[in-house]
Amino acid sequence: MRLKLKDKMGRFNKGKKRGVPGVNTSALPDIIFMLLFFFMVATTMKEQDYLVEIDKPTASQALPIEDKDKIDFVYIGFPIDANQGTEPRIQLNDQLAPGPASVIPWKLGAVRPGMRAFDIPTSLKVHKDVGMRVVSDVKENLREIDAIKINYSADARD
Amino acid sequence: MAKRELEEISAGSMADIAFLLLIFFLVTTTVEVDAGIGRTLPLKIDQPVDQEPIDIRERDILEIKANSQDQLLVEKKLTPIEDLEDIVRDYYTANIETETNIDMPAYTKIDPVRCQTEILKYQTLVTENEENVAAQKELDSWRAKLELCQSLPTQQYSEISKMAIIRLENQAGTSYGLYIQIQNILKKVVNEQRVKYCTEIWDKDYFALDKQNVEDQEIIKKLRILVPERIIEAKIER
Repeated sequence: MRLKLKDKMGRFNKGKKRGVPGVNTSALPDIIFMLLFFFMVATTMKEQDYLVEIDKPTASQALPIEDKDKIDFVYIGFPIDANQGTEPRIQLNDQLAPGPASVIPWKLGAVRPGMRAFDIPTSLKVHKDVGMRVVSDVKENLREIDAIKINYSADARD
Repeated sequence: MAKRELEEISAGSMADIAFLLLIFFLVTTTVEVDAGIGRTLPLKIDQPVDQEPIDIRERDILEIKANSQDQLLVEKKLTPIEDLEDIVRDYYTANIETETNIDMPAYTKIDPVRCQTEILKYQTLVTENEENVAAQKELDSWRAKLELCQSLPTQQYSEISKMAIIRLENQAGTSYGLYIQIQNILKKVVNEQRVKYCTEIWDKDYFALDKQNVEDQEIIKKLRILVPERIIEAKIER
């Protein structure tokens, strides 16, 4: 009887040394990869660093732009760099344009052979507090070169 | 010879590599989806085309003026932006079946017989003078209308007055936000009408129409004749 009891106690004693086992991290890469893929699918590449601040207006009828590679972006907003003043400025590619007339060489420069300026829509991303003067000037200049397809960028919510 | 065992590649840093990639994507991407309102500006006209003298009637033009204080003047009346949608809807639909409001554009019934006569008329004009661009344009538009009539179950439709134009006028200080609100309302009303026709006539969802599909392209073309979107923007005065 005694021997048996001792045996049992011995078995219990085995557990005396137990500490908290380390967390198994072998699944961690999988979790991170899952997150990575989620972000790769759910997000889009930034097409440009903004030099102007743009708070887009909202419009319930705005439709997603289907082919972002086949569209040119004009950004109009208030310069982030304080040295550039407080008047609304136009950003083309990664530079602030001196004036609305700069959209003509910029737009024509982007036209690939075999295409016309007419074929490539222009998306206007404009801060909602910007006055219509500069927007209207840009549109008039685009009309000069028949680039008449315009997309007014807006957030699609009510 | 000592038996060397191949060491396993440690996968411990895999998480770090994945983290690095994750952070890279977090930094370089944005979640925002680009959306916007599409518009086609009127083409620049180099030389004036000879046209029949147009008589512009007051009722055909919806004038929307926005000033630097972001106030709206619709048909010369100060109007809050909330009321604009109903005015635009009324502009499009008031007289569509029967003449109910003589301040809104008139509708005329278009049927194949009418199309045929107009086609004949412009056909002779074009054969007389092949350089008559205006007549050629008319001829093309009447042919499209004939095609539309023939595809309708009733063989006819109501057409809004040819001179029905929405005229937008802004001032230099009008905010872009207000401008987009106006554009959005105009688009909304036109979309409503097109959605209605699209389901009634073709039993299809207007927003699901595929621009790459030839059949859907035809429907879009016809919807543009049924519910035209004619917006003129006045130049901002210097």
